[in-house]
Amino acid sequence: MTIFSSVSHKTMLEKIYCTLFQGAISFNGALVGGRVPLIVRLEGFSSDLTSTVHNSPVYCRCRAELGDPIMLWAGVLEAGGRSASADMKDFIVNVEVRTQGFVLLCSCDLHFQEEVFPYPEISNEELEEINQLVGPVEKFFSEEVDSKAIDQSAKIPPETLKGLKDLGLFGMQIPEEYGGLGLSNTMYARLGEITSLDGAIAVTLAAHQAIGLKGILIAGNDQQKAKYLPKLASGEHIAAFCLTEPGSGSDAASIKSRATLSEDGKHYILNGSKIWISNGGLAEIFTVFARTEVVDKDGTTKDKITAFIVERAFGGVTHGKPEDKLGIRGSNTCELHFENTKIPIENVIGEVGGGFKVAMNILNSGRFSMGSASAGMIKKLIEMSAEYACTRKQFNKKLSDFELIQEKFALMAQKAYVMESMAYLTAGMMDRPGFPDCSVEAAMVKVFSSEGAWQCVSEALQILGGLGYMKDYPYERYLRDSRILLIFEGTNEILRMYIALTGMQHAGKILTGKIKELKKGSLSVAFEMIGKRLGSSLGRKINLGLTGKDGVVHPSLEESTKKLEENTYYFGSTVESLLYRFGKTVVDEQLALKRVADILINLYAMTAVISRASRSISIGLRNHDHEVLLANLFCSEAYHKNCFMLAQLGKYSPANQDDSIKKIAKHVLESRAYTCSHPLDRTF
Amino acid sequence: MKSLRLLVAAHRLCAGLRHLPAVEPHVARSQLLRAVHTSSSPGPPVNTPPSNTVAPFDDAFAKDQRDKASFIQVLDLFCGRDVRRRGHIELIEAALRWMPQFGVEKDLEVYNKLLDVFPKEVFVPRNFIQTLFLHYPRQQECAVRILDQMEFYGVTPNKHTYFLLVQTFGKLSHPVKKYQRMLYWFPRFKHTNPYPVPLDLQADPVALSRVCLERIAADRDARVTVYQLPCTEVCDDGTVQEHSHLVGIQSPDQISLLAEHDTKYPVIVEGPFPLWLKKTCVQYYVLRAEPGAKKKEEMDPERSLYYPLSLDLDLERDLAEDFTFDVDEVEEGQVYAMCMAGSGDERTLGKWINCLQESNPILGQLPVLFRLTSGPREVSLPVQEEDGESHKKEEARESSAEEDEEETRQNRRMEQ
Repeated sequence: MTIFSSVSHKTMLEKIYCTLFQGAISFNGALVGGRVPLIVRLEGFSSDLTSTVHNSPVYCRCRAELGDPIMLWAGVLEAGGRSASADMKDFIVNVEVRTQGFVLLCSCDLHFQEEVFPYPEISNEELEEINQLVGPVEKFFSEEVDSKAIDQSAKIPPETLKGLKDLGLFGMQIPEEYGGLGLSNTMYARLGEITSLDGAIAVTLAAHQAIGLKGILIAGNDQQKAKYLPKLASGEHIAAFCLTEPGSGSDAASIKSRATLSEDGKHYILNGSKIWISNGGLAEIFTVFARTEVVDKDGTTKDKITAFIVERAFGGVTHGKPEDKLGIRGSNTCELHFENTKIPIENVIGEVGGGFKVAMNILNSGRFSMGSASAGMIKKLIEMSAEYACTRKQFNKKLSDFELIQEKFALMAQKAYVMESMAYLTAGMMDRPGFPDCSVEAAMVKVFSSEGAWQCVSEALQILGGLGYMKDYPYERYLRDSRILLIFEGTNEILRMYIALTGMQHAGKILTGKIKELKKGSLSVAFEMIGKRLGSSLGRKINLGLTGKDGVVHPSLEESTKKLEENTYYFGSTVESLLYRFGKTVVDEQLALKRVADILINLYAMTAVISRASRSISIGLRNHDHEVLLANLFCSEAYHKNCFMLAQLGKYSPANQDDSIKKIAKHVLESRAYTCSHPLDRTF
Repeated sequence: MKSLRLLVAAHRLCAGLRHLPAVEPHVARSQLLRAVHTSSSPGPPVNTPPSNTVAPFDDAFAKDQRDKASFIQVLDLFCGRDVRRRGHIELIEAALRWMPQFGVEKDLEVYNKLLDVFPKEVFVPRNFIQTLFLHYPRQQECAVRILDQMEFYGVTPNKHTYFLLVQTFGKLSHPVKKYQRMLYWFPRFKHTNPYPVPLDLQADPVALSRVCLERIAADRDARVTVYQLPCTEVCDDGTVQEHSHLVGIQSPDQISLLAEHDTKYPVIVEGPFPLWLKKTCVQYYVLRAEPGAKKKEEMDPERSLYYPLSLDLDLERDLAEDFTFDVDEVEEGQVYAMCMAGSGDERTLGKWINCLQESNPILGQLPVLFRLTSGPREVSLPVQEEDGESHKKEEARESSAEEDEEETRQNRRMEQ
C-alpha cells in the first residue's frame, strides 16, 4: 500500500521532510497503528529526475510515529546511487511503509533484499583503524595471556588485567568523549574475535561492557555518563550486571530485592541478594535491579522494577567467595548482598519503575558479539587441530588423509564461515543510522553460534582423540569454556521462544485480517489462498527477485538463493497456517515454535552467507571460490533441514512425533524416574 | 468300540473308587470342561464337599497348629502311608479347602507339593484314543482344581509344576493345557495395574491412612502429617475420652492454591468418601473450594525478561485444534487438603482444620463449612465368608441324600 504525500523539499543535501497522512497507515491490508519502526521507500518524480529516481527507488530507514515528519538522511540517498540535486522541484514522494528487520519481513513473505543486500561494508578508514587495534591485541593475547594458568588458578592475574586496560579493551564501545574507544558494533565484533581466545577474559570483558555498563550507556543521562563512564572506560572501575536472584532466572516477578525511598526522599535503601554475578568480586560499579513502589496513573501503588547504579563505596555491599565453575574458571562469579545500601536518587537509570525495559534492552543488545567471538575461537581451533592432523601418522597415513577427519574440518570451516557471516551482517545492520532494532537477529546469531561452537570444539577434541581429553592440551578447556555459551545471556531455549514469538507477533499483525476473513468463511480469500497453494504446488517458480538480471546475488550462488527463496515462501505459508490453527495460543506450542525458530535461524544464516559470498566474489576477495563452496554447502544442508522442519509443522504430518514426545515426557516426569523394566527382569 | 468300552470301564472305575454316584463324574466333567474352556465365575473355586457327605481327611487337617510345616507334614504322612496313594483326590480336595486356614494359599511350593501327591505315570495316556477322551477324568479334574485355586490366588506356576503335571498326566492332558494358559496370561496381567496396592496392608490405622492418602493424592511433593495418634485420655471428671487417629495430606501446590483462595467464599470440609484397597474400605475427607471460587489470574506484561509470555493478537485457537473440551469434564472446586480420621465427627475434623492453620494461616479468615454425610455403607457383607462359615457348620453333620447335594451345588453356584 502506498501513501502519497507531497514534500516541500528544503535543503536536499542534508534532509528531506515529508509528512505521512494523518490516520492509520495501511499495510498489506492490515491496520498498523501506534508507534512503528518504518522503512520508507522513496520514489521521486520530478521533471528532471523522474527517469533515474523512478527506476531505482531509494531506500531509507527511520523511526516515526504517525504524523511525524520523517527524516531521510542525504547520505543514504547518495548511497542509493542518487545524488540529490538542489533544483529538484515538486518532489512527490511515494512512501511505502514497511516494518523493519529481517524476521518481520521474511515471516510475512516479503522482499527483504534491501535489508541484507549488499553485505554491509565498512569504509577504508574504519578498516585501517580496526586493523591498527587488532594487531596489538592479538600480540597481547598470544604472548602475555597464559590461559592455562588462568584456568588452573581460577584467577586472571593483575598484570594481565592491567594489560587489557592499557589496550583500552574495557571501554570498547564507550564514546571517545568519555575516554573509550568509541567502536562501532562491527569493530567491537572484530575485537571480540580475539578476546574470545581466552574464555575467562572474554566473559570478564563482556560482563563489564556488554551488560555491566550498558545500562548507563543506553539509558543513563548525561550526568551519569559523565560521572561513571570515564573511569569505566579506563578500566579503573569494573562494572557488573546484577539481575539474577536465587529465586529468579528469567522470571522478573520473582525478583525480591527491594529499594525503598528514604524519608527525606533523597535516597533509596537497597536490600537483597543477587547470585551468579559475573565480576561480582571485582566490580566497583553495579547495575542493580530491584523492586520499588511506584504510584500508578490511577493512584494505586504497584511494585515495579527499577534499575540503579550502585557503587561499592555506597556501603553495605558484600560479596561471597568466587563460585567454582566448570568452565570460564578465571572469570569472577559470586554472590552479592546489599544491606541497607544507600543509593542517591540521581542514580536511577531511566525512570523509576522502568527497570524492566532497561534490563530487556541491555540483554538484547549484548548478544550479537557472541557470533564473532565463537568464530574467532573456532578459527584458532582449526589451526591447532589441522597442525596435529597433518603431522600425526597412523597406518603410514597422515590423519588428514582420512575422510572422517576431513569431514570434521569441513564442518568446522563451514560453521565458522556461517557464524562470521551472521555476526558481521547483524553488526553491520546495527551500525546503520537510526538505531535499528536487531534484537531478534542478535538472538539468532547467539543461538546458532553457541551451538556451533560447542559442536566444533567437540569435533576438534575428537580429532586429537585421547590427547584432546588431557589437560596438557587446551581442547578440554575450550570445551568446558564453550559450554556456557548455550546457557548465559538467555538460554538457547528461551531465545528460540523469543525469536519465534517475535516473528509470530509481527506476522500475526499483518495476517490477522486475512485469517479472520477466512474463518468467517469468506470465499474470495479462501479461493485466493487455494489458488496460491495450487499454483505453488504445480511448480510455479517462486521468485523473490534476488537472482536474475536485476538480482543482487552472484550467479554462482543462484542455486542456493533459489533454495532460500523457496524455503522463505513456504515458511510464510506455514506461519500463516500456524496462526490459523493456534491463534494467540501458539505461545503454548513450544515444540512448533522451536521449529519456527530453527527455520528462521537457518533462513537468516542462509541469507547472510549468500550475501557475504556474493560480495566476496563480486569484489574479488581472496579465496572467494572457497567461500562460494562453503556457502553452497551450508545452504543446501540448511535447505533440507528446513524442508523437513516445514513438513513437521504441517498438521497430520507423519514426521511430527510431538504427541509421543509429550506423552513420554509426561510419564517420565510423573514418576520422576526412568520406569522401563530392566532388560534382565522376568515376570515368571 | 474299544474306546467306548474303556470309557465305561473308566466310569465304573471312578464310581468304584469314590463313594460318589455315577452321575457325579458327568457333572464334574462338564464342569471341568467349562473350567478349561471358559473363564471361571468370580469368587474362589468351588471345592467345598457336599454338605451331606463325609469329608474324609478333614480331621487330619483339623489341627491346633496351623502353618506351612504342619500342612506339609500332613501331605508327607499321606504319601508315606501307602504306595498306591489310595484316596489321594479326597486328600487333595480337603487340603485345598484347608489351605487358607493354614495361610499357605499363596505358596507355590505347597501347590507343587499337592500336585506331587498324585501317583506318577499311571494316568498318562498310552494311545491317542486315550488322549482324545478324558483319561482318568477325576484325577485330571482334581489337578485342574488345584490350578484353579492357584489362579484365584494369583500364584504363577513354575517349571516344577509343569514337570509334575507332565509326569502325572502327560503332555496332552487338560491340566497341562490349563497350566499353559495360565502361563500365557499371568505374566501379561502381572503389571497391568499401574497403581498396585501393597501386598500386605498394615493393620495400624495411621500407617494405613498414610498409604491411602499418598495413593489418592498422587503428588510426590505432598506431605503426610499425623495430627493425632489413637489414644484414650482420662479426663479430670473421670470420663474416658477416646481420641481416634487423624492423618492429613497436603502438597505445596495445594498450600499455595489455598493461600490464593478468595476470602469471600467459604471452604468446605466434605466427606466421607470411600476408598477401597483390595477388601478393605476406608473413608477420607477433603477440604475444598466451591466450583468457580477461583481468583482471576492476571498476567503481568513485565514478567519475562527474555520472551513474550503472550501474543498481542486477536486470533483465537482454531476449533479443530481445541482438544480441551471433554463431556466428562465437570468443573469442580479445588481440593486443598485431605485427611483420614477414625471418627468423622465435627470435633475431629475441626481439629484437623485447626492443625492445618499452622501451615495455612489464611484458614483463620475463612469460613469453614462442614458438609458431612453419614457416608456410604457396605450394602452387604461379602457372601463368601458367611457361606464358608455356614458350610463349616454343615460339614460337621452327616447326610447321604445325593439329590440334596446336587441342589446345594446348584444353589451355591447361583449364589456366586
